[in-house]
Amino acid sequence: MRPLNYAMLKYFTTVDEASVDDVMKDLSSDYSGYTAFKRDKMQEALMTAEKNGLISESRVDLDDNGDLRVFYSADAEQRDTINSYIK
Amino acid sequence: MQEASAVSIAKQKKKELDSSFFKKGIMVALFSSLMYGFYTAFVTAGQNSQLWTSWTSAINPAAFLAVFIIPTVASAINDSCSAIWALAITAKQGKLGDFGRTINTKPGIILMLSALVGGPIATVAYIIALSQAGTIVVPIAALNPAIGSILSRILYKQELGPRKIAGIAICVVAGLMIGTASLTGDSSSNMALGLALAFIAALGWGAEGCIAGYASCMIDTQIGITIRQCVSGVVELIVILPVLSLIGGVNLGQTFGYVGAAITDLPTILCFIVAGFSAYKSFASWYRGNSMCGTALGMACNGTYTFVAPLVTWIIVGLIMGVPGYALPPIAWVAAVVMILGILVIAVDPKELFGKKEEA
Repeated sequence: MRPLNYAMLKYFTTVDEASVDDVMKDLSSDYSGYTAFKRDKMQEALMTAEKNGLISESRVDLDDNGDLRVFYSADAEQRDTINSYIK
Repeated sequence: MQEASAVSIAKQKKKELDSSFFKKGIMVALFSSLMYGFYTAFVTAGQNSQLWTSWTSAINPAAFLAVFIIPTVASAINDSCSAIWALAITAKQGKLGDFGRTINTKPGIILMLSALVGGPIATVAYIIALSQAGTIVVPIAALNPAIGSILSRILYKQELGPRKIAGIAICVVAGLMIGTASLTGDSSSNMALGLALAFIAALGWGAEGCIAGYASCMIDTQIGITIRQCVSGVVELIVILPVLSLIGGVNLGQTFGYVGAAITDLPTILCFIVAGFSAYKSFASWYRGNSMCGTALGMACNGTYTFVAPLVTWIIVGLIMGVPGYALPPIAWVAAVVMILGILVIAVDPKELFGKKEEA
Protein backbone atom coordinates (compact mmCIF):
# COMPACT_ATOMS: atom_id res chain seq x y z
CA MET A 1 0.00 0.00 0.00
CA ARG A 2 1.26 3.49 -0.91
CA PRO A 3 1.49 6.47 1.45
CA LEU A 4 -1.72 8.55 1.26
CA ASN A 5 -0.15 11.50 -0.58
CA TYR A 6 1.35 9.15 -3.19
CA ALA A 7 -2.02 7.41 -3.66
CA MET A 8 -3.73 10.79 -4.16
CA LEU A 9 -1.26 11.82 -6.88
CA LYS A 10 -1.27 8.39 -8.51
CA TYR A 11 -5.07 8.56 -8.78
CA PHE A 12 -4.73 11.49 -11.18
CA THR A 13 -2.78 9.28 -13.59
CA THR A 14 -5.88 7.07 -13.95
CA VAL A 15 -8.71 9.61 -14.42
CA ASP A 16 -9.41 12.57 -16.72
CA GLU A 17 -10.22 14.88 -13.83
CA ALA A 18 -11.24 14.63 -10.19
CA SER A 19 -12.23 16.74 -7.20
CA VAL A 20 -11.14 16.03 -3.63
CA ASP A 21 -14.48 14.25 -3.09
CA ASP A 22 -13.75 11.90 -6.02
CA VAL A 23 -10.29 11.18 -4.59
CA MET A 24 -11.74 10.48 -1.13
CA LYS A 25 -14.41 8.21 -2.57
CA ASP A 26 -11.84 6.18 -4.49
CA LEU A 27 -9.38 5.88 -1.61
CA SER A 28 -11.82 5.50 1.28
CA SER A 29 -11.64 1.70 1.40
CA ASP A 30 -7.90 1.75 2.13
CA TYR A 31 -7.31 5.10 3.80
CA SER A 32 -10.48 6.18 5.65
CA GLY A 33 -8.87 5.28 8.99
CA TYR A 34 -6.00 7.74 8.44
CA THR A 35 -6.00 10.93 10.53
CA ALA A 36 -4.99 12.84 7.39
CA PHE A 37 -8.01 11.44 5.51
CA LYS A 38 -10.00 14.65 5.99
CA ARG A 39 -11.50 16.82 3.27
CA ASP A 40 -9.73 20.06 4.24
CA LYS A 41 -6.33 18.39 4.65
CA MET A 42 -6.65 16.50 1.38
CA GLN A 43 -7.86 19.65 -0.41
CA GLU A 44 -4.75 21.43 0.92
CA ALA A 45 -2.55 18.57 -0.34
CA LEU A 46 -4.12 18.86 -3.81
CA MET A 47 -3.61 22.65 -3.81
CA THR A 48 0.03 22.10 -2.83
CA ALA A 49 0.48 19.58 -5.65
CA GLU A 50 -1.13 22.06 -8.06
CA LYS A 51 1.11 24.87 -6.77
CA ASN A 52 4.15 22.72 -7.53
CA GLY A 53 2.96 21.77 -11.01
CA LEU A 54 2.21 18.09 -10.43
CA ILE A 55 -1.47 18.55 -11.35
CA SER A 56 -3.49 21.41 -12.87
CA GLU A 57 -6.83 22.94 -11.98
CA SER A 58 -9.34 22.06 -14.70
CA ARG A 59 -12.60 23.71 -13.51
CA VAL A 60 -14.71 24.71 -10.52
CA ASP A 61 -18.41 24.33 -9.72
CA LEU A 62 -20.84 23.97 -6.79
CA ASP A 63 -22.20 20.66 -5.51
CA ASP A 64 -25.87 20.08 -4.56
CA ASN A 65 -25.27 21.65 -1.15
CA GLY A 66 -23.73 24.77 -2.68
CA ASP A 67 -20.22 23.79 -1.58
CA LEU A 68 -17.26 24.52 -3.85
CA ARG A 69 -15.79 21.69 -5.91
CA VAL A 70 -12.39 22.19 -7.52
CA PHE A 71 -11.47 19.71 -10.23
CA TYR A 72 -7.88 18.85 -11.06
CA SER A 73 -6.28 16.90 -13.89
CA ALA A 74 -2.82 15.67 -14.91
CA ASP A 75 -1.67 16.05 -18.52
CA ALA A 76 0.70 13.58 -20.19
CA GLU A 77 3.84 15.32 -18.93
CA GLN A 78 2.49 15.56 -15.38
CA ARG A 79 1.50 11.88 -15.47
CA ASP A 80 5.01 10.96 -16.62
CA THR A 81 6.47 12.99 -13.78
CA ILE A 82 4.19 11.41 -11.19
CA ASN A 83 4.87 7.91 -12.57
CA SER A 84 8.63 8.50 -12.62
CA TYR A 85 8.66 9.32 -8.91
CA ILE A 86 5.87 7.10 -7.63
CA LYS A 87 5.81 3.44 -8.68
CA MET B 1 -29.23 32.68 -15.69
CA GLN B 2 -29.19 30.52 -12.56
CA GLU B 3 -26.32 28.51 -14.04
CA ALA B 4 -24.33 31.70 -14.70
CA SER B 5 -24.89 32.76 -11.09
CA ALA B 6 -23.67 29.37 -9.81
CA VAL B 7 -20.50 29.69 -11.91
CA SER B 8 -19.93 33.18 -10.53
CA ILE B 9 -20.40 31.99 -6.92
CA ALA B 10 -18.07 29.04 -7.53
CA LYS B 11 -15.37 31.36 -8.91
CA GLN B 12 -15.78 33.70 -5.94
CA LYS B 13 -15.49 30.79 -3.49
CA LYS B 14 -12.40 29.56 -5.32
CA LYS B 15 -10.80 33.00 -4.96
CA GLU B 16 -11.53 32.92 -1.24
CA LEU B 17 -10.04 29.42 -0.99
CA ASP B 18 -6.89 30.51 -2.86
CA SER B 19 -6.57 33.61 -0.70
CA SER B 20 -6.94 31.61 2.50
CA PHE B 21 -4.38 29.06 1.26
CA PHE B 22 -1.93 31.82 0.30
CA LYS B 23 -2.25 33.66 3.64
CA LYS B 24 -1.90 30.39 5.56
CA GLY B 25 1.29 29.64 3.59
CA ILE B 26 2.78 33.02 4.53
CA MET B 27 1.84 32.59 8.20
CA VAL B 28 3.39 29.10 8.25
CA ALA B 29 6.59 30.43 6.62
CA LEU B 30 6.82 33.33 9.10
CA PHE B 31 6.20 30.91 11.97
CA SER B 32 9.25 28.94 10.77
CA SER B 33 11.31 32.09 11.31
CA LEU B 34 10.04 32.55 14.87
CA MET B 35 10.75 28.90 15.71
CA TYR B 36 14.20 29.24 14.19
CA GLY B 37 14.79 32.04 16.68
CA PHE B 38 13.85 29.78 19.60
CA TYR B 39 15.98 26.95 18.16
CA THR B 40 19.02 29.25 17.96
CA ALA B 41 18.40 30.72 21.40
CA PHE B 42 18.03 27.39 23.22
CA VAL B 43 20.97 25.72 21.45
CA THR B 44 23.03 28.71 22.60
CA ALA B 45 21.51 28.48 26.09
CA GLY B 46 22.43 24.79 26.29
CA GLN B 47 26.01 25.70 25.44
CA ASN B 48 26.00 28.23 28.27
CA SER B 49 24.85 25.80 30.98
CA GLN B 50 27.05 25.30 34.02
CA LEU B 51 28.09 21.86 32.75
CA TRP B 52 28.95 23.14 29.29
CA THR B 53 30.95 26.13 30.51
CA SER B 54 32.85 23.84 32.88
CA TRP B 55 34.05 21.95 29.77
CA THR B 56 34.82 24.95 27.61
CA SER B 57 36.61 26.86 30.38
CA ALA B 58 38.91 23.88 31.05
CA ILE B 59 40.22 23.52 27.50
CA ASN B 60 42.10 25.75 25.08
CA PRO B 61 39.45 27.58 22.98
CA ALA B 62 41.52 26.98 19.85
CA ALA B 63 41.88 23.22 20.47
CA PHE B 64 40.19 20.75 18.09
CA LEU B 65 38.04 19.53 20.96
CA ALA B 66 36.67 23.02 21.61
CA VAL B 67 36.27 24.03 17.98
CA PHE B 68 34.78 20.86 16.49
CA ILE B 69 33.87 18.13 18.97
CA ILE B 70 31.94 19.97 21.69
CA PRO B 71 29.81 22.12 19.33
CA THR B 72 29.05 18.98 17.26
CA VAL B 73 27.95 17.21 20.44
CA ALA B 74 25.46 20.09 20.84
CA SER B 75 24.26 19.71 17.26
CA ALA B 76 23.94 15.91 17.53
CA ILE B 77 21.96 16.12 20.77
CA ASN B 78 19.74 18.87 19.37
CA ASP B 79 18.95 17.01 16.15
CA SER B 80 18.41 13.73 18.02
CA CYS B 81 15.95 15.46 20.36
CA SER B 82 14.31 16.98 17.29
CA ALA B 83 14.07 13.54 15.63
CA ILE B 84 12.42 12.09 18.76
CA TRP B 85 9.89 14.95 18.77
CA ALA B 86 9.20 14.40 15.05
CA LEU B 87 8.80 10.62 15.47
CA ALA B 88 6.50 11.05 18.48
CA ILE B 89 4.27 13.54 16.66
CA THR B 90 4.25 11.36 13.52
CA ALA B 91 3.14 8.43 15.71
CA LYS B 92 0.46 10.58 17.39
CA GLN B 93 -0.85 11.57 13.95
CA GLY B 94 -0.99 7.91 12.91
CA LYS B 95 1.57 8.41 10.12
CA LEU B 96 4.32 5.99 11.22
CA GLY B 97 3.18 3.44 8.63
CA ASP B 98 3.40 6.01 5.81
CA PHE B 99 6.78 7.13 7.20
CA GLY B 100 8.11 3.57 6.78
CA ARG B 101 6.57 3.20 3.33
CA THR B 102 7.98 6.55 2.14
CA ILE B 103 11.62 5.93 3.09
CA ASN B 104 12.21 3.34 0.36
CA THR B 105 10.74 5.39 -2.50
CA LYS B 106 12.45 7.73 -4.97
CA PRO B 107 11.14 10.97 -3.37
CA GLY B 108 12.03 9.52 0.05
CA ILE B 109 15.61 8.76 -1.00
CA ILE B 110 15.99 12.22 -2.58
CA LEU B 111 14.73 13.75 0.66
CA MET B 112 17.20 11.67 2.70
CA LEU B 113 20.11 12.79 0.48
CA SER B 114 19.13 16.43 0.77
CA ALA B 115 18.67 15.92 4.52
CA LEU B 116 22.27 14.71 4.70
CA VAL B 117 23.46 17.93 3.10
CA GLY B 118 21.10 20.25 4.95
CA GLY B 119 21.13 18.31 8.21
CA PRO B 120 24.47 16.97 9.44
CA ILE B 121 26.74 19.06 7.21
CA ALA B 122 24.95 22.42 7.41
CA THR B 123 23.70 22.07 10.98
CA VAL B 124 27.07 21.04 12.40
CA ALA B 125 28.71 23.89 10.50
CA TYR B 126 26.10 26.30 11.87
CA ILE B 127 26.42 25.15 15.47
CA ILE B 128 30.23 25.36 15.35
CA ALA B 129 29.92 28.79 13.70
CA LEU B 130 27.57 29.97 16.47
CA SER B 131 29.95 28.76 19.15
CA GLN B 132 32.94 30.39 17.49
CA ALA B 133 31.55 33.72 16.36
CA GLY B 134 28.20 34.13 18.15
CA THR B 135 24.90 35.15 16.58
CA ILE B 136 26.68 37.44 14.12
CA VAL B 137 26.88 34.34 11.91
CA VAL B 138 23.09 34.15 11.64
CA PRO B 139 22.74 36.65 8.77
CA ILE B 140 25.55 34.85 6.88
CA ALA B 141 23.70 31.55 7.23
CA ALA B 142 20.62 33.41 6.01
CA LEU B 143 22.26 33.72 2.59
CA ASN B 144 20.77 30.29 1.85
CA PRO B 145 17.90 31.60 -0.35
CA ALA B 146 20.49 33.37 -2.51
CA ILE B 147 22.57 30.22 -2.76
CA GLY B 148 19.42 28.20 -3.46
CA SER B 149 18.68 30.48 -6.42
CA ILE B 150 22.19 29.99 -7.84
CA LEU B 151 22.07 26.21 -7.33
CA SER B 152 18.64 26.09 -8.97
CA ARG B 153 20.13 27.85 -11.97
CA ILE B 154 23.01 25.35 -12.17
CA LEU B 155 21.10 22.14 -11.36
CA TYR B 156 17.65 22.84 -12.79
CA LYS B 157 18.37 25.60 -15.31
CA GLN B 158 16.00 27.92 -13.50
CA GLU B 159 15.83 31.58 -14.47
CA LEU B 160 18.46 33.88 -12.88
CA GLY B 161 17.69 37.29 -14.32
CA PRO B 162 18.88 40.81 -13.45
CA ARG B 163 16.53 41.10 -10.44
CA LYS B 164 17.97 38.01 -8.76
CA ILE B 165 21.56 38.96 -9.61
CA ALA B 166 20.93 42.42 -8.09
CA GLY B 167 19.57 40.76 -4.95
CA ILE B 168 22.64 38.53 -4.67
CA ALA B 169 24.88 41.61 -4.99
CA ILE B 170 22.95 43.29 -2.14
CA CYS B 171 23.49 40.20 0.02
CA VAL B 172 27.21 40.17 -0.73
CA VAL B 173 27.46 43.84 0.28
CA ALA B 174 25.59 43.03 3.52
CA GLY B 175 28.02 40.16 4.16
CA LEU B 176 30.94 42.57 3.75
CA MET B 177 29.28 44.96 6.21
CA ILE B 178 29.07 42.15 8.77
CA GLY B 179 32.69 41.27 8.02
CA THR B 180 33.74 44.74 9.15
CA ALA B 181 32.47 43.92 12.66
CA SER B 182 35.20 41.27 12.90
CA LEU B 183 37.79 44.03 12.57
CA THR B 184 36.85 45.51 15.95
CA GLY B 185 38.73 44.62 19.13
CA ASP B 186 35.65 42.92 20.58
CA SER B 187 35.48 40.22 17.93
CA SER B 188 36.21 36.58 18.64
CA SER B 189 39.58 35.21 17.61
CA ASN B 190 37.71 32.56 15.64
CA MET B 191 35.45 35.00 13.80
CA ALA B 192 36.84 34.09 10.37
CA LEU B 193 36.28 30.34 10.96
CA GLY B 194 32.78 31.04 12.28
CA LEU B 195 31.84 33.12 9.25
CA ALA B 196 33.30 30.52 6.85
CA LEU B 197 31.35 27.71 8.53
CA ALA B 198 28.19 29.83 8.48
CA PHE B 199 28.64 30.13 4.72
CA ILE B 200 28.94 26.33 4.46
CA ALA B 201 25.68 26.10 6.42
CA ALA B 202 24.06 28.52 3.97
CA LEU B 203 25.36 26.39 1.08
CA GLY B 204 23.94 23.22 2.65
CA TRP B 205 20.54 24.71 3.38
CA GLY B 206 20.41 26.33 -0.07
CA ALA B 207 21.10 22.91 -1.60
CA GLU B 208 18.52 21.31 0.68
CA GLY B 209 15.86 23.86 -0.27
CA CYS B 210 16.68 23.32 -3.93
CA ILE B 211 16.82 19.50 -3.94
CA ALA B 212 14.18 18.70 -1.32
CA GLY B 213 11.68 21.17 -2.72
CA TYR B 214 10.51 18.88 -5.46
CA ALA B 215 10.49 15.77 -3.30
CA SER B 216 8.59 17.42 -0.47
CA CYS B 217 5.68 18.46 -2.66
CA MET B 218 4.94 14.73 -3.03
CA ILE B 219 5.58 13.73 0.56
CA ASP B 220 3.40 14.69 3.54
CA THR B 221 5.28 17.49 5.37
CA GLN B 222 5.18 15.70 8.73
CA ILE B 223 6.69 12.59 7.17
CA GLY B 224 9.25 14.67 5.26
CA ILE B 225 10.45 16.47 8.36
CA THR B 226 10.61 13.21 10.33
CA ILE B 227 12.87 11.75 7.63
CA ARG B 228 15.04 14.87 7.73
CA GLN B 229 15.46 15.02 11.50
CA CYS B 230 16.04 11.26 11.87
CA VAL B 231 18.72 11.25 9.14
CA SER B 232 20.34 14.31 10.65
CA GLY B 233 20.32 13.10 14.27
CA VAL B 234 21.48 9.56 13.53
CA VAL B 235 24.24 10.56 11.10
CA GLU B 236 25.59 13.24 13.43
CA LEU B 237 25.67 10.84 16.38
CA ILE B 238 27.06 7.71 14.73
CA VAL B 239 29.03 9.10 11.78
CA ILE B 240 30.06 12.74 12.15
CA LEU B 241 31.05 12.61 15.83
CA PRO B 242 33.23 9.46 15.48
CA VAL B 243 34.81 10.75 12.24
CA LEU B 244 35.65 14.12 13.81
CA SER B 245 37.06 12.33 16.86
CA LEU B 246 39.31 10.18 14.66
CA ILE B 247 40.47 13.19 12.66
CA GLY B 248 41.25 15.20 15.77
CA GLY B 249 42.81 12.29 17.68
CA VAL B 250 40.15 12.55 20.38
CA ASN B 251 39.26 9.38 22.28
CA LEU B 252 35.78 8.10 21.33
CA GLY B 253 35.04 7.40 24.99
CA GLN B 254 35.78 11.01 25.80
CA THR B 255 33.56 12.27 22.95
CA PHE B 256 30.58 10.13 23.93
CA GLY B 257 31.31 10.92 27.57
CA TYR B 258 30.33 14.50 26.74
CA VAL B 259 27.13 13.24 25.08
CA GLY B 260 26.27 11.10 28.11
CA ALA B 261 27.02 13.92 30.55
CA ALA B 262 24.93 16.41 28.58
CA ILE B 263 21.84 14.21 28.30
CA THR B 264 21.93 13.36 32.02
CA ASP B 265 22.36 16.97 33.16
CA LEU B 266 18.83 18.33 33.63
CA PRO B 267 19.40 22.06 32.92
CA THR B 268 21.41 21.21 29.77
CA ILE B 269 19.07 18.58 28.34
CA LEU B 270 16.02 20.76 29.02
CA CYS B 271 17.55 23.44 26.79
CA PHE B 272 18.15 20.86 24.05
CA ILE B 273 14.64 19.41 24.39
CA VAL B 274 13.17 22.88 23.79
CA ALA B 275 15.74 23.60 21.04
CA GLY B 276 14.95 20.25 19.37
CA PHE B 277 11.22 20.95 19.39
CA SER B 278 11.81 24.45 18.01
CA ALA B 279 14.06 23.05 15.25
CA TYR B 280 11.42 20.45 14.37
CA LYS B 281 8.68 23.12 14.14
CA SER B 282 10.96 25.52 12.26
CA PHE B 283 12.05 23.07 9.55
CA ALA B 284 8.57 21.53 9.25
CA SER B 285 7.09 25.00 8.75
CA TRP B 286 9.87 25.87 6.30
CA TYR B 287 9.03 22.84 4.10
CA ARG B 288 5.29 23.42 4.42
CA GLY B 289 5.45 27.20 3.86
CA ASN B 290 7.65 26.76 0.79
CA SER B 291 5.31 24.22 -0.75
CA MET B 292 2.18 26.27 0.04
CA CYS B 293 3.16 29.76 -1.13
CA GLY B 294 6.05 28.91 -3.43
CA THR B 295 9.70 28.40 -2.54
CA ALA B 296 10.68 31.98 -3.36
CA LEU B 297 8.19 33.68 -1.06
CA GLY B 298 8.47 30.91 1.53
CA MET B 299 12.23 31.30 1.78
CA ALA B 300 11.93 35.09 1.87
CA CYS B 301 9.51 34.88 4.83
CA ASN B 302 11.73 32.31 6.55
CA GLY B 303 14.71 34.63 5.92
CA THR B 304 13.30 37.10 8.45
CA TYR B 305 15.01 34.96 11.08
CA THR B 306 18.03 37.20 10.51
CA PHE B 307 16.20 39.59 12.84
CA VAL B 308 14.37 37.03 14.92
CA ALA B 309 17.21 34.65 15.82
CA PRO B 310 19.64 37.21 17.28
CA LEU B 311 16.74 38.99 18.96
CA VAL B 312 15.36 35.86 20.66
CA THR B 313 18.90 34.74 21.59
CA TRP B 314 19.67 38.14 23.10
CA ILE B 315 16.40 38.08 25.09
CA ILE B 316 16.76 34.48 26.36
CA VAL B 317 20.53 34.09 26.74
CA GLY B 318 21.56 37.72 27.19
CA LEU B 319 18.72 39.24 29.22
CA ILE B 320 17.10 36.25 30.98
CA MET B 321 20.22 34.11 31.56
CA GLY B 322 22.45 37.16 32.04
CA VAL B 323 25.22 35.92 29.72
CA PRO B 324 27.09 38.95 28.29
CA GLY B 325 28.11 39.37 24.65
CA TYR B 326 24.88 38.57 22.79
CA ALA B 327 23.88 42.12 21.84
CA LEU B 328 24.78 42.57 18.18
CA PRO B 329 26.84 45.59 17.12
CA PRO B 330 24.72 48.22 15.33
CA ILE B 331 26.35 47.57 11.93
CA ALA B 332 25.23 43.92 12.09
CA TRP B 333 21.63 45.05 12.54
CA VAL B 334 21.95 47.43 9.60
CA ALA B 335 23.56 44.66 7.54
CA ALA B 336 20.78 42.25 8.50
CA VAL B 337 18.22 44.74 7.17
CA VAL B 338 20.19 45.14 3.94
CA MET B 339 20.51 41.35 3.64
CA ILE B 340 16.78 40.86 4.10
CA LEU B 341 16.22 43.44 1.37
CA GLY B 342 18.58 41.46 -0.87
CA ILE B 343 16.83 38.19 -0.05
CA LEU B 344 13.46 39.72 -0.85
CA VAL B 345 14.74 41.09 -4.16
CA ILE B 346 16.05 37.62 -5.06
CA ALA B 347 13.11 35.62 -3.83
CA VAL B 348 10.01 37.63 -4.62
CA ASP B 349 8.84 38.37 -8.12
CA PRO B 350 6.87 41.66 -7.84
CA LYS B 351 4.49 40.53 -10.58
CA GLU B 352 3.70 37.28 -8.75
CA LEU B 353 3.36 39.00 -5.35
CA PHE B 354 1.10 41.80 -6.56
CA GLY B 355 -0.86 39.35 -8.68
CA LYS B 356 -1.59 37.31 -5.55
CA LYS B 357 -2.57 40.44 -3.63
CA GLU B 358 -5.03 41.36 -6.32
CA GLU B 359 -6.55 37.91 -6.17
CA ALA B 360 -6.79 38.18 -2.38
